[in-house]
Amino acid sequence: MNSFIRFLSSSIGRKYVMAVTGLSLTLFLLVHMAGNLTLYAGNDAFNEYADLLESNPLLPLAEAGLLVLFVVHILFAVLLTGRNKTSRSDKYQSSLGMGAKTVASTTMWITGPVLLVFLVIHIWDFRISKELLDEYDLAQMVVDRLRHPVGFVIYTASIGMVGLHMWHAFQSAFQTLGVAHPRYRSLIQNTGRLITALLVAGFGGIPFYLFFTG
Amino acid sequence: MIQKKNHGDLRIVLEVWRQNGPGAPGAFEEHEVMANEHMSFLELLDVLNEQLVESGRDPFVFEHDCREGICGSCSMTIDGKPHGPRDRTTACQLHMREYRNGDRVRVEPWRANAFPVVKDLMTDRSAFDRIQQAGGYVSINTGSAPDAHAMPVNKENADMAFDAAACIGCGACVAACPNASAMLFTSAKLSQYTLLPQGQPERDQRALGMVDQMDAEGFGNCTNHYECEAACPKGISVTNIARMNREYARATLRRRD
Amino acid sequence: MTIADSHASSPRLDAKVPGGPMDERWSNHKFDLKLVNPSNRRKFDVIVVGTGLAGGSAAATLAEMGYNVKSFCIHDSPRRAHSIAAQGGINAAKNYKGDGDSVHRLFYDTVKGGDYRSRESNVHRLAEVSVDIIDQCVAQGVPFAREYGGLLDNRSFGGAQVSRTFYARGQTGQQLLLGAYGAMNRMIHAGRIDSYTKREMVDLVVVNGVARGIIVRNLLTGEYERHAAHAVLMCTGGYGNAFFLSTNAKNSNVTAAWRAHKRGAFFANPCYTQIHPTCIPRSGDYQSKLTLMSESLRNDGRVWVPEKEGDPRAPQDIPESERDYYLERKYPSFGNLVPRDVASRNAKTVCDEGRGVGPTGEAVYLDFGDAIRRDGKETIASRYGNLFEMYERITGDNPYEIPMRIFPAVHYTMGGLWVDYNLESTIPGLFVLGEANFSDHGANRLGASALMQGLADGYFVIPATIASHLAGRKLEAVSVNDDAFKEAEAKARERADLLLACNGNRSVDSLHRELGNTVWNYCGMERTAEGLQEGILKVRELRAEFWSNVKVNGDPNHVNQDLEKAGRVADFMEFAEVMFNDALVRDESCGGHFRAEHQTEEGEARRDDENYAHVSAWEFTEEQKLPTEHREQLTFEEVKLTTRSYK
Ligand SMILES: Cc1cc2nc3c(=O)[nH]c(=O)nc-3n(C[C@H](O)[C@H](O)[C@H](O)COP(=O)(O)OP(=O)(O)OC[C@H]3O[C@@H](n4cnc5c(N)ncnc54)[C@H](O)[C@@H]3O)c2cc1C
Ligand code: HEM
Ligand code: SF4
Ligand code: FES
Repeated sequence: MNSFIRFLSSSIGRKYVMAVTGLSLTLFLLVHMAGNLTLYAGNDAFNEYADLLESNPLLPLAEAGLLVLFVVHILFAVLLTGRNKTSRSDKYQSSLGMGAKTVASTTMWITGPVLLVFLVIHIWDFRISKELLDEYDLAQMVVDRLRHPVGFVIYTASIGMVGLHMWHAFQSAFQTLGVAHPRYRSLIQNTGRLITALLVAGFGGIPFYLFFTG
Repeated sequence: MIQKKNHGDLRIVLEVWRQNGPGAPGAFEEHEVMANEHMSFLELLDVLNEQLVESGRDPFVFEHDCREGICGSCSMTIDGKPHGPRDRTTACQLHMREYRNGDRVRVEPWRANAFPVVKDLMTDRSAFDRIQQAGGYVSINTGSAPDAHAMPVNKENADMAFDAAACIGCGACVAACPNASAMLFTSAKLSQYTLLPQGQPERDQRALGMVDQMDAEGFGNCTNHYECEAACPKGISVTNIARMNREYARATLRRRD
Repeated sequence: MTIADSHASSPRLDAKVPGGPMDERWSNHKFDLKLVNPSNRRKFDVIVVGTGLAGGSAAATLAEMGYNVKSFCIHDSPRRAHSIAAQGGINAAKNYKGDGDSVHRLFYDTVKGGDYRSRESNVHRLAEVSVDIIDQCVAQGVPFAREYGGLLDNRSFGGAQVSRTFYARGQTGQQLLLGAYGAMNRMIHAGRIDSYTKREMVDLVVVNGVARGIIVRNLLTGEYERHAAHAVLMCTGGYGNAFFLSTNAKNSNVTAAWRAHKRGAFFANPCYTQIHPTCIPRSGDYQSKLTLMSESLRNDGRVWVPEKEGDPRAPQDIPESERDYYLERKYPSFGNLVPRDVASRNAKTVCDEGRGVGPTGEAVYLDFGDAIRRDGKETIASRYGNLFEMYERITGDNPYEIPMRIFPAVHYTMGGLWVDYNLESTIPGLFVLGEANFSDHGANRLGASALMQGLADGYFVIPATIASHLAGRKLEAVSVNDDAFKEAEAKARERADLLLACNGNRSVDSLHRELGNTVWNYCGMERTAEGLQEGILKVRELRAEFWSNVKVNGDPNHVNQDLEKAGRVADFMEFAEVMFNDALVRDESCGGHFRAEHQTEEGEARRDDENYAHVSAWEFTEEQKLPTEHREQLTFEEVKLTTRSYK
């Protein structure tokens, strides 16, 4: 068997894949968020930014890459979670817990799929539906969606999910990759918290801004 | 009616898991024991068992030997905590002064598919042995060793290797892990050798061998909750898991087949 | 010159000690021994019972050499053998500290420490191979303590004048055992060792006078299994649990040794038991075992009891003037650092006088108050922090504030199956290693020497000497279907059935506890002819009570820990009588055997080298009959016999 396939079928190899794809997605989210901030400068600024992106010939490639990242991340999440949910068939009768796990760490397999559902909605909202239109104003679509109470709730809640996922995920990914020298432990942890806060504030600010200013 | 011997005035209601074998149905049995604050938790079970025997019933099976926290035999989950509520303490070193009169205490076995229940609180932990057999050693024949001072070892590494070597192989890490993962144990064993010069020649094959065996035994995957570290009576650190992850990746990159 | 030339050894006890100068005997012997050709080794099956330091190291090494090894232990993993609990360290004559240590000095100290009741040649060999043990263990990755320069650290232990003890924090036994276990694992992985865990040896099978197999009970299924081999190695540890309360692990037993004894292996010096002075005292009837605390505590702690009998005051309320620092008073030059046996006996004496402290009155204080005032709490914490923590965990008392309470406890047994220089018992083909044999410690073992002996036997001695049997004798083929195997299995089954059939009123533990009390009271720290005779009667009564009134519940065909215990306690009941007899016959005081009739004015042990410089080895005769004593005369060529004094 080829050593790469062996790696991918091992517990640690699979964790590596989760971590690498997860961190790449985190990077994507940061860039995505930075782009979204143009909305604060007005609809035109945002549309300009979007046009700039769409005119880039590499965009389809980037989108394909992103899709692969998501698919792989999700596939391996299913593999890992599947195994973890079957490694203890006889459950404890008392509630098991030493106090180290967190809400975030124990709900990864819930926040993840919720994000998947959100992704579908999100891609429909702003990626696919615009393909069906001849002409569109992306910024206005965003504004309309987020000013609608249902849209507002879906988007803010999902951003909360991103926060919860990331709260555990960032430092977890470094541990998985083997970067865990005691000296850097708190640095990594704090960076993770900072990034989580940035993402939540950056993404989350927009619906609030729109909803309450509209 | 079971006759209770009075060893003290601490009334404890025990709910102990009774199960006849792997796959057999199990249930808690409730018993009352009069304890004394100086008793160890296993002595409490001794007293219960003596009560049971004298009234013609089967005593509960539980593993124990050294009763000093070093052999790693004792293994029970007490109120949802492997080895009980006290930090860095095995069940045999837990004393009843942690409890109050009238407390109700639930005792169940380690639960993990890779540790099937043998009887009551006893589980089969031979998976740990097989993980060790897959590479947890230095291959040196007796009599062929160089002088012990031929190879000085950096003290910091020696100390870290020692911290990892302190693992008693009890399995509490698996029992505490929401995923029943054995990564803390495996990584502790691996780290000891990785950190020492003696372990270098077999470094790659050890990492591959032990991790593959660990996977084959049916343990879950680590998702970095760190419950294992909190449950470990010897304070084995999860930095060992990070090291093992690194070692496994490194060995994969270096393998030739 | 040999003393007691007039006493000849029993012809049944040929120690096979090689001649020539002491320091060349082992190398000459190795040269003279027959060899088994490497390509022939795979034709030999060797059974190794026990996976402690002795068994683990033997199994691994024999497998490396090419023998087919079958390893057995009662634990669920070889790594859990009782050796794992050893804390302090392991001796070796490396002289890394340059403080004048040498093989000869270690040899000399061990013979002297054993109160001149050990075989010089064996001890010399032990000292010789001690240096190889450290090399071997370090190469395996055993994490011994190191200094900043990266070299190994040593400490002085148990009153030794040189620093020759290698250690691994407080877990030397665990680290050494994991080393041997690792070596075993390598051979298990290679298919050279078949590892049988959760198996209890319940009988030895002797075919035509040669040990050719064992019967084991599978502790998980209750099945009896027969295993045949060309040689049997017993590495089954000591019998300290005859006392019920000891520092030994709960599963330590005499069963394997006792079963072999009944098949013809002589039991040597069973009365030699070591009592360790610094253990945490018992807190009540439910006490299941005792915990040892390092002897190093006596370096700074001061031992005392109240002047007054039955003083009810808390220790801090007793003024200096009303405390009796009895060790300092009686032994002004050694004070609190007198040897183990002296410290232990004195503790018992003051408790017998009614001055013992704590709820049971069976404890003395070990007080760090002065040391803390002198050196500061931090210094004391840096020296003993982990011990203080352990003490507090067990007793709930904080030793920084209230004096510790300590009491002596049974810790090690020097006696064991008699073996010759090749470690072969009186049954050809049966070799005995580690604490299970009697060989190297005489009447008293020095600290950090048991680990050394276990590993010496397993790594270095048996791999050479086993050839004397395998290459030296013609061994016909045997099968597990031979009558000898069937008979032994039937006997083992019958015994278990008898235990189950008793269906009396008393738990095994309650009977074991009572036996332990009897042995402790009559054959413990201090023995008298009268007490021993009385004790023998009590043991007999108790044995009768056991067989008529024991209650063993549960399924014999499944895990049944009660049945396991019952079998072991039944053996302790028989064994105890031999122990008493040995103590009675040895009409002198030496090492761990203190006969009150034989003491100096100062209460020191008085040896009788003229009449007792021998090993007593007991031969089983018949059930319920007294065993026969055989003697191996000890000769001392290198070491001059002296009397110790700690005044
Ligand atoms: C608390 C404590 C601390 C100690 N500290 C030190 C120290 O610091 N330095 C030192 O040198 N010594 C020390 N000792 C003594 C030393 O640990 C032991 O003497 C030594 O480890 C014995 O090793 P062994 O291999 O002979 O037997 P053990 O380690 O006792 O092994 C016995 C083996 O035999 C097996 N077995 C037993 N009976 C049967 C049976 N019937 N059937 C099948 N298998 C069986 C067991 O499963 C086990 O594997 C200490 C002892 C104690 C109790
Ligand atoms: C929005 C984009 C996402 C980002 C940035 C992201 C990021 C991450 C990161 C960094 C990890 C940590 C990996 C590790 O511990 O080694 C992780 C773990 C995980 N992710 Fe995602 N993820 C995203 C979306 C998803 C989706 C859509 C799913 C599921 C369908 C999912 C399921 C999981 C699961 C189950 C884990 C847990 C694995 C573990 O705990 O080790 N994630 N994610
Ligand atoms: S890592 Fe800790 S919890 Fe796990 S087996 Fe080792 S000592 Fe026990
Ligand atoms: S009985 Fe040995 S660790 Fe608990």
